[in-house]
Parts: sequence; structure tokens; C-alpha cells
Amino acid sequence: MQITCTINGKVHRFDCAPESRVLDLVREAGMTSVKAGCGEGECGACSLFVNGRLVNACLLLAPQIQDAEVVTLEGLQEETAAIRESFAEHGAVQCGFCTPGFVLRAYDYLSHGGERSEEAIKAALDGNLCRCTGYRKIVEAIVKVKS
Amino acid sequence: MGVVGESVVRVDAASKADGTLRYTDDLPFDGLYGAVVRSEIAYGKIRAITFDPAFDFSDIVIVDYRDIEGRNANVVLTDDQPFLAEARVRHIGEPILLLAHRSKRRLREAAAHITIDYDAQAPVLSMEESLALKQRLYGEDNVFKAIHTLKGSLPEGRGLFSLEKTYTTPHQEQAYLEPQSMLARYNGGRVKIIGSMQCPFFVEAALEGLAGEKIEVEQAPTGGGFGGKEDYPSLIAGYAYLLCKKAGQDVKIVYEREEDIAYTTKRHPAQLHYRSRFDETGKLHALEVDITIDGGAYVTLSPVVLARCVLHAAGFYDCGYIRVDARAVATNTPPNGAFRGFGAPQVIFGIERHMDDIARTLGLSPAVVRERNLPGAGSLNVSGVPIAEHARLRALFDTACRESGFDALYNAPPPHRGVGMALFMHGAGYTGVGESMLASSVSIALEADDSVEIRVGSVEMGQGTLTALPQIVADVLELPVGMVSCRTPNTAEVADSGPTVASRTVMIVGRLLAEAAGQLKRALGDYDSPDAYREAVAHYRQRGGPLQFGASYEQPAGILWDEDLFYGNGYEAYGLGCYIAEVEVDPVDYRVRVVRFDAYNDVGQVVNPMMAEGQVEGGVAQGIGYALFERLVYETGRVRSPRFSDYTLPMAPDLPKISVRFLGLEGPSLGLGELPMDGPAAAVANALGHALGNAFDALPITPETVEEACR
Ligand code: FES
Ligand code: FES
Repeated sequence: MQITCTINGKVHRFDCAPESRVLDLVREAGMTSVKAGCGEGECGACSLFVNGRLVNACLLLAPQIQDAEVVTLEGLQEETAAIRESFAEHGAVQCGFCTPGFVLRAYDYLSHGGERSEEAIKAALDGNLCRCTGYRKIVEAIVKVKS
Repeated sequence: MGVVGESVVRVDAASKADGTLRYTDDLPFDGLYGAVVRSEIAYGKIRAITFDPAFDFSDIVIVDYRDIEGRNANVVLTDDQPFLAEARVRHIGEPILLLAHRSKRRLREAAAHITIDYDAQAPVLSMEESLALKQRLYGEDNVFKAIHTLKGSLPEGRGLFSLEKTYTTPHQEQAYLEPQSMLARYNGGRVKIIGSMQCPFFVEAALEGLAGEKIEVEQAPTGGGFGGKEDYPSLIAGYAYLLCKKAGQDVKIVYEREEDIAYTTKRHPAQLHYRSRFDETGKLHALEVDITIDGGAYVTLSPVVLARCVLHAAGFYDCGYIRVDARAVATNTPPNGAFRGFGAPQVIFGIERHMDDIARTLGLSPAVVRERNLPGAGSLNVSGVPIAEHARLRALFDTACRESGFDALYNAPPPHRGVGMALFMHGAGYTGVGESMLASSVSIALEADDSVEIRVGSVEMGQGTLTALPQIVADVLELPVGMVSCRTPNTAEVADSGPTVASRTVMIVGRLLAEAAGQLKRALGDYDSPDAYREAVAHYRQRGGPLQFGASYEQPAGILWDEDLFYGNGYEAYGLGCYIAEVEVDPVDYRVRVVRFDAYNDVGQVVNPMMAEGQVEGGVAQGIGYALFERLVYETGRVRSPRFSDYTLPMAPDLPKISVRFLGLEGPSLGLGELPMDGPAAAVANALGHALGNAFDALPITPETVEEACR
């Protein structure tokens, strides 16, 4: 089937099977910040925005992005610059495989006026898996993002 | 200038955070996807393989063992494991065929049209069945390796208490977030391997056997390893190589999470039997430990894991008589392998649970019993040599007890809460004289722009190699750290500095690099600023000296090791830890929450405090996962639920704020990758035991176990 959507503002057309995962489509389109960590909505490594909502690309099928506006970390470099800097500065990046997902989660959280308390941030991170850091430095980095 | 000891920002942080860093699956690729057809049975013979004649296989690349030109053996310590099964299969998931095609969908369809018939035999699925010789799987007795040690003589039993207990620890999945991924590039008849791995030279060696020639191996940015990418990548690299060679095209294999959890290596499950004799003050007089670990279907690294079990089984406690009998056995389950801690987390759980059980028997505080058994100058460890770390251990223990307020919490815990501790060590580097067998070398090179490049086989997998090693070299050269870089290893271009395992990168490779940097510095003569350095380099270039400097491992004097007697310095040095956990039990749903975790560590000089803290926080998180969350269910030799939705890993809200302290900073740097994985499970189990007045002897401790214990 034919699927048309915009990814980071550019129109993309996919000729794909209806059961194709959005995760694979956007990766094929070159958006490698979207990572395949678990394939079942448990890790958040494949996070991206569809029509402004942060979702797991591994759980979406191609028809679900028909005519949609898809935005990945590649399309939010300016908006996430302070978050990324804070992650680097506070040691929140280790192997880095989870990091794009966490950066988008933090961006979503902060841009919706999320409270800068450790407890609230921890709760907001439920759904993003990091096997390396123990989360403490990720939480700290988000608390300390310069606004 | 002194950049060692500074929290330099990791060099790869920015490219990781903005998503531009290319992991294996992100690399440009225009070739075939590879897939593995695996055994559906745990033990038996392959009778026939049928390709459905109704399906067109003509465009599918198919490889079986007959396509192997070299040896069909993945040689780790022995050569018992084939890359592809020939006549017999020994575990569910054992690779039998490899397939490749441009379309993943067609690949799946092809796999569905292949039928394998077996003569199934009753599999051996537990350590008990293995030792009872239900089937003979390996040698005469199914034992891959046995180790026996004996130190001192058995004390008179009179007036002594005795305690006998069994502790068990389960499989644990490394759960690196990036699944196993390997890419084989085809270029004019030659294959180059690029992938996610910890030990490029291990992969090179494995492929040399398989291919009958040296194959270039390059590490790609690696999304976590934790031991899971130490030995396993040799296999998947072999599959990619075989398909690529036959297809004459690039081949990529990236495991789905389910495949990764179900068939790659895990932490060895262990059964630990402790028998102790002690007096009324809690002083240990005799300790007998019996250890059985499940190696799975092939030998792989089990003998070395077992050695680490033995060397850590008694902790560093002072005890006049220590006897350890240990064995790694064969079963028809996927082979187990390296996982952060490498045998130590299992036995540290055993000895540290046992210390608490002794305290409970006598009605003493766990801190008092540990105090009573701290080693002194004359105390010998399990392999018969003095415990050189005794003073540091005592200092660490005292600080941890004092600063955490352990006694106050222990004596007056808030309702539903408990506090527990674990005091432990981790041998840094290879066991025994292993390091001298690795014969590691390193090299650094003066680049055209006067910067210095480090060329070693050590990899970055998240722990910070690309940042820490330049810090060490820059420190010696008194240069800004930005003037030193570390190259991602490629076996054709860097020195073989040994594998990135065993907490050895900073300690061994770092030390060699400091030596090489010292040579360069001496060659350059005096300079006192980066500008003066450049001038010195210019003069040096005119004189025409070598642009590359190297150093190789030499065993420090005084290391003595007898492998047969298991006597001597098990390790060149040890990291030390004293971890304190406070837990709270929900009286309604029996959920356990770790509310506080204090990690006191002595790993000598810390190269990068921020990264080091991150290592400890991450290790503790894995340890808490091991204690409370992570459970793999095996049924008839198959992982029943190989997904993150079933295999629960700790998420942010599940963890406390882990507080990390480093003491003993003046010593030489020891690695700290593994240490923080060793202690948490025991500390958490002990805290829970304190909260509920009960003993928790088996991991993981789930709400169901807690409920049962409370009944
Ligand atoms: S890959 Fe989509 S949530 Fe893990
Ligand atoms: S940094 Fe490795 S998974 Fe988060």
C-alpha cells in the first residue's frame, strides 16, 4: 500500500505492506535516532512524535501515519539543544542507545510545563528503559536543563 | 594540568544525544539480511531437513555446516561448540541453518517452509539431573570444570556453633539496550566484519578458525555489553561471515529482542551451599563452600567464571579453615557466559547472606559479625595468600557504618523497613596469571597535527573508554585532554591490548598507556605548555625519532599462582565495596521498594569521577534488578517469555537515589566496571530479612516470595 506523511517537515511516500512498523519505515527514511530496543513498547528507544504526541514507533503500523506529521529527534535539534547539553554535562549518557528516546521524553515533559522535581521526573520517565545509568544522572540532567 | 581525577565530559556524549552516532544497524547498508534457523528441541539428533518443494528457495542464500571451509568450532577455551549443528543438537535455539535475503519478509517465509525432523532424547535441564547423569553430555561426569581448594586445618568442633544453608541465584539477562548486531561487508572476495562487540580480537580469533584466514574486525559504537558482548559476538559474526562469503554481498544480522533474550548467553545460575563454624562472638573458625553453576550446553567461559566464583566465595573474611569445592556442569540449555561480575555476584550473595544468617543465629548485629571477621595483616584469603587490602577494607567498612548510620537504623528501624549491608571485593583483571597470557600491548602515535592517538583493542560500550584512556595519556603528557584521542578498534590497525572485560581496561591498559606516554614525554624533553609541547614535537620530528610508542604487559614481581593447587594471588589487585540498602515492604501487596542505597567503594584513584559514579549507579541498578525484578522462566529448556514485558527491568521509579562514595583514592587505579554489580543483591536481601525477621535465600525476591515468607 501507499503511505504518505511528512517526516520532519518533508513529504515521504512509502510503498509498504500494511503491517509494516513505523519504526522500520522512519529508520529506512534515514532517521536513525529512532532505535529498535525491544519492539514491543517497553523501552522508549524508538520514541517519536506523531501529530504532536510522543509515541513508540515500534507499536505503530504504517496506516497509522497516513497524512500524519511525524517528527523525530533529527527534526528537533534546536529545540532539544539545552536538554542534550545538560545530558552530556551531567553524565546522563553512557552507551547512548537509549539517549535519543530520553531526550525526546524530557523535551515532551518540559515543554508541557513538567515540574522540575526528582520524583515527578522519575515518574515521567516510566516507560523509558536505560540499562546503563541507573537513571540518577538522567533525572539530574533534566532537573538542571537551562531554560 | 592533571586531567586524571577530573569529570571530563565524555567525548561521545554529543553524538549519542543528538542521534548522529551510527551503531551497527544505523550504518549505510545495501545488502542481504541474515537469519538463523534454530533447533526446536533441547537434545537429540537431526534426522532430516526438508525444504518445502512448493516454495521457491532459488533466491535465498542457504548455509549449513558443509559450507564451512575452516573449522566448525567456536574455540573459546575448548572447541566443543560448533558454529552450526552437524548431526546433534544440544539446546533449544542451537543454530542449524543460516538464511539470507534482501527482504526480511521473504526471509521469514522461507524459514517457515523448512522442516527439521529430530530424534529427540530426554534433555538434561537442571544441575541435579546433570550431576545425576541423566544423560552423559560432557566427559565422564558432565562436569566442564571442577575446582577444589583447601586452606588451613579443620578446627576442633567443641564449643562452636555451626550453620548450614543453601542459597540460589538465577539466570540473569544482560539486557544491553542495543541487541546483538553484526554486519559483514563484502569487498572483492574479502569479508570485513563490523559490529557490536566488546572484544574485537576474540572475534578475529574465532573467525580465523572458521575461515582459515585472518578476517578484519572492527567494533562499531556499541549500545551496552555488560559481558553479553564478550564471547557471544564471535558466533553471530561467524553467521554473518558465512552468509556474506556465500552470497558475495554485504550481510547484516540484527537480533530481535526475543531472539536475543532467548538464545544468547546469560549469567550462570548457581547453587551455593555454605557450612560454617563460629563461636559465640560471631568469629568464623571454619567455612566450607560447595558451588555448582550451570554452564549450559557448551563450555564457553564457564571454567573462568567458576574460578572467579571460588576466589570470591569466602569474601575477604578472616577464617582459619576455608574449603571450597566447585563445579560447572553441562545441561541442555543455551550456554551461559560473561555478565558483569563474572561469577562474583553469585557467591557474594552466598557469603554475604551467610554472614547475616550467622548474625541472626547469635542475635548479633550484622555489622558486629562482619567487624569481628575483618581480616588483619596475617589473614589469608581462600587461595592461601595474605589479604593485602586488609587496612583499606577496614577503613571502608568503618566509614560506611559510621556515615550510613547503619547501627541506629538496624536497632530502631521504622515500621515495614529494614537495613542490610554487603561487604565485598572484586578481583580486577584476569584470574591468576591470566594477564600474562594475554600479553597485552598498547600503542600511541603522534599524529600530523601533533595530537596523540591511542590505538588499543579496548572498546567503548558505554563505560567511557574513549574518554578515560585519553585522560590517562593527557595526564602523563600534561596536555589538554582534547589533544589525545582514542580510535575505535579495528583488528588490522590497533594493538591487541586484550579484551574489554574483567575491570581491566583502566587498570591494565591504562597503566600500559601511561608507560607509553612516558616514553613519548621523555623523547620530547621538557615543555611546560601546549605551545611548548608543539615546539618540542617539531624539534623531535626534525631529529627523526619514531612516531609510535608502545608498551606491553609484564607481570608485576611477586605474583605467584599455582593453577593446580589454586594457590597464590588470584588477582593482581582488588576493588572493595561496602553497600548499604534500606528497603520498605508494602504490607498490602508485598512489594519491596529500595528506599535508599549507599555505595562505598575503594577502587584506588578515580580517573573520571562523574563517569565512575555513573558506572556504580548503573551497576547497582542491575544488582537491584537481580535482587527484586529480573526473572527468566525456563520450560523444557526454553525461555518461556523472552520479552521486556515479561523480563522486568528496573525503570526510573523503581530505584532510589543511589549515593556513591569513593574512598582510598591514593592507590593506583583499578577498574570498577564489575564491582558495583557484586554487592547489591545481598544488601537488599539482607535488608529485607531485617524488615521481616526472615531469611531470603533465593533470587529474585518477588512479591510472591515475600508473601510466602510472611505467611
Ligand atoms: S523499541 Fe519501541 S519501545 Fe522499545
Ligand atoms: S545509556 Fe545505555 S541504555 Fe541508557
